[in-house]
Amino acid sequence: MVRRKISLGELLALAVSFSLFLGACASTAPGPPAPAENEVSSRVREPAKQDSEGVQVFPLQNAAVKELMADAGTAESMGDYGQAATLLERALRIQPRDPEILQSLAEVQLQVKDYGQALSFATRSYDLGPRVGEICSRNWHTISVSREHLGDHSGSDEAAEKARKCMNTKPRSL
Amino acid sequence: MMSPGDKTYLSVNKRRKKTAAAQKKSSKPARRGWIGRLWKPVLLLAGVLMGLLIPWVVYLNYQVTTEFEGRKWDLPSHVYARALEIYPGVSLPVQDLEMELRASGYRAASPVTRPGQYRVSGSSVEIYRRSFRFHDGAEDASGFLVRISAGVVADVISVADKRQLDLVRLEPAEIASIYPLQKEDRSLVKITDAPQLLVTGLQAVEDRHFKQHPGVDLRGVLRAVVANLKAGKAVQGGSTLTQQLVKNYFLTQDRTVARKFNEAIMALLLEMHYDKSEILDAYINEVFLGQQGAYAVHGFGQASLFYFDQPLDRLEPNQIALLIGLVKGASYYNPRRHPERALARRNQVLSAFAETGLLSDAQARQQASTSLGVTQEPRSRGTRYHAFVDLVRRQLAQVYREEDLKTEGLRIYTTLAPSIQEKAQHAVTDGLKQLEKRGLPAGLQAAMVVADVATGEVRALVGDKDPNRAGFNRAIHARRQIGSVIKPLVYLLALEHGNEYSLVTRIEDEPITLRQANGSDWSPDNYDGKSHGEVTLLQALTRSYNQATVRLGLEIGVANLVNRIQQLGVSAEVDAVPSVFLGAVELTPLEVTQIYQSLAAGGYSVPLRSVIAVLTADGNELVRYPLRMVPQPHRDAIGVLNYALTQVVEQGTAKALPGLLGSNTTIAGKTGTTNDRRDSWFVGYTRDHVAVSWVGKDDNSPAGVTGSNAAMHLWADLFRQLPFSAVDLRMPDGAFWLWVDGESGFLTGQACERAVQVPFLDGSAPTRSTACLGAQQENEESFWRKLFGKKKN
Repeated sequence: MVRRKISLGELLALAVSFSLFLGACASTAPGPPAPAENEVSSRVREPAKQDSEGVQVFPLQNAAVKELMADAGTAESMGDYGQAATLLERALRIQPRDPEILQSLAEVQLQVKDYGQALSFATRSYDLGPRVGEICSRNWHTISVSREHLGDHSGSDEAAEKARKCMNTKPRSL
Repeated sequence: MMSPGDKTYLSVNKRRKKTAAAQKKSSKPARRGWIGRLWKPVLLLAGVLMGLLIPWVVYLNYQVTTEFEGRKWDLPSHVYARALEIYPGVSLPVQDLEMELRASGYRAASPVTRPGQYRVSGSSVEIYRRSFRFHDGAEDASGFLVRISAGVVADVISVADKRQLDLVRLEPAEIASIYPLQKEDRSLVKITDAPQLLVTGLQAVEDRHFKQHPGVDLRGVLRAVVANLKAGKAVQGGSTLTQQLVKNYFLTQDRTVARKFNEAIMALLLEMHYDKSEILDAYINEVFLGQQGAYAVHGFGQASLFYFDQPLDRLEPNQIALLIGLVKGASYYNPRRHPERALARRNQVLSAFAETGLLSDAQARQQASTSLGVTQEPRSRGTRYHAFVDLVRRQLAQVYREEDLKTEGLRIYTTLAPSIQEKAQHAVTDGLKQLEKRGLPAGLQAAMVVADVATGEVRALVGDKDPNRAGFNRAIHARRQIGSVIKPLVYLLALEHGNEYSLVTRIEDEPITLRQANGSDWSPDNYDGKSHGEVTLLQALTRSYNQATVRLGLEIGVANLVNRIQQLGVSAEVDAVPSVFLGAVELTPLEVTQIYQSLAAGGYSVPLRSVIAVLTADGNELVRYPLRMVPQPHRDAIGVLNYALTQVVEQGTAKALPGLLGSNTTIAGKTGTTNDRRDSWFVGYTRDHVAVSWVGKDDNSPAGVTGSNAAMHLWADLFRQLPFSAVDLRMPDGAFWLWVDGESGFLTGQACERAVQVPFLDGSAPTRSTACLGAQQENEESFWRKLFGKKKN
């Protein structure tokens, strides 16, 4: 039988906890209602939430990062994407391999239509992340949207397919 | 709207008419008599004087308006290190925190009462942080206690309300000021932002009729004359603030009648053109208030920092009084050199404040009872980390002219970590001394670069064994052959072809001769002078076999290697000749760092950055350098290569490293040596930092150095002092771990002899298995049969 070492990333994957929510509860999930034209909400976060069907990811973040990410979230909701990116970069200096921070940076890049960078950050987030669950789905939805804007339509479809598989494929590293 | 220039032009015309009229008059026939005889020369003299005076006034007017209109002080740009983030969980030994605090100009004090002070007691550090404007927002002055346990911050507690803080930032160290040629230092203050007491107090002491007079105060002059006559010497000056400004601004310090005359005319002209607040605004930023070495301290903003290490708006009335007192003579009343004179002068100013009602008598008395409160030494200035600042200039040179850096008062926020920089400098300086003691030749030089793996931010850069010497910066400018440091790229290109190569693929390490472009033959030898026969890719790389590498290189093609070097962010020209496989390519330590950053970050290239943001003097963001990543192709192969580079340290040419570090933490690295031992390279990375060190001689003569006998020692000297974590060997999609037999490279079972774990790309896994694995699988099957009574599918 072939077996592998358990690495840090795999521990992170173990930190993914699955908790099924009732349909009624799912509709009360946090997050402000976003305008329809906001691609990040409509094409990344919402579908990821649906794909994951209430599966929640709880990454191991320290309080400093949480504070910075909350501030970045506020800046983003006010449309101040430059400040959001600056705060996320600060968070990344504290936890340079945090998939949540990287994915948030990817989403900020989508907001400012820098699809090349959105693609880079989402891919890096996937590489370092649990490769399963909601964040995995956000990774691939971001990649899909970015590729579409960059004219790579087949790549976009492929990524959308991978987003759907984030929930029903057992991660290779587990 | 008429510009001041137009005004000048009109007034000149009017006066010219008058002059013409006067000349007409003077041409009338003269009257008789002595008066008549004198009339002519007097008129002539008057004519000549007017003829000279008017162009002179016009000239002065031109000078005043153009100079004042276009007044823009040359402001030095200030370069800041990165801001230290302090939060529970961060690795930050007490001595590192102290090093950072001192770099930021903090002083040890007990008790801690003012911003800019700190106190260490055991493993707790109390810090009174100064207020500071960061590129992404301002932070107030505040006190907090940092408790550190075993080198890690346990908690941060606010002194004011005992609240636990999740995150605080320390104001960054100022690491350099880029000065204009005039050697003047200023920190601009707008009149509207200046403390009220400064604005009113200045008038109370220097010029009580400032609001009323037209630039020259005749009453003031008379009063001064009377006072001076009474005292029998010059005790009072009658100069208005406007005259003082003119003197500072346009004229020399000579005390001649001509200068006084010019000063008066120019003061009148200045007042004609500009309103009082503009004149005062210029004054508070222009007046000379001290001298720091070669640099003159101009203006109250800079003086406040120079004497009190505080921004102007935080000064107490007695401190404002001292600064105003210095206007009269900054060197005579120098509070550091002549504290008694300064104290007397300050209290004189405080009395003037009371006399004019700016302070109550009680307030003035209370303020007069305080000590001077100046810091012992002004905060050190000038450049502390020349080599790093070179890099900053280089990055900014893409956007700014050097001239702008010297005059625009930019605030430049960089990535430097002072504590890492200090340690890197020690590692280089002391490390070279140690190497010489161990028998390496004298006169070696070295360079070192440390960058953050994930963000590409340069944390430290050393370009000379004497870090205080500003000169040839080897980290940025020394192009040297990189030797075996190139080899990982050869293996990377092979591994990318998963159907042909894996780390257990066998290649030949046998003599090889190649015909070179110039017709001569090239037969590379191995370092130990032997050939090793059939070896795996992993062995060939970890032991840095030359012959095997050249053979492998020829299979992948030299053009592909050159392309890949450039893809990884190196712009230098590289000749596509086979000797490139062994590192016959000249790169700088910085370029090598760029290549390895990509590998260390799992194939995400981030252009190395030393500057994060640049703000204008008034705090507007001019440019930001955000984090940008370029994913490299075949990141699965990079994942596999990273493992191979950890084996260089575990069992290859760098196997002495764990001993030097006193740690078995997984680190990836590669040594490099060039022909005749001219260059010694070591590149290594941990999870968070990638660092490159180089040792050699400036004249490129044989130096007796190898990667492991010199550069690796410096690298270890640095990382022994840094906290570090193991390289992450989690494989990206497309690569996975297998147990293989260490000898044959066949698939094997974990429990089998010589079983080692090696990562493979999809499609590159060995097809053959050991007998041991077969037996193990047999056992497992029989287990399932026993359990379920049938064969497992």
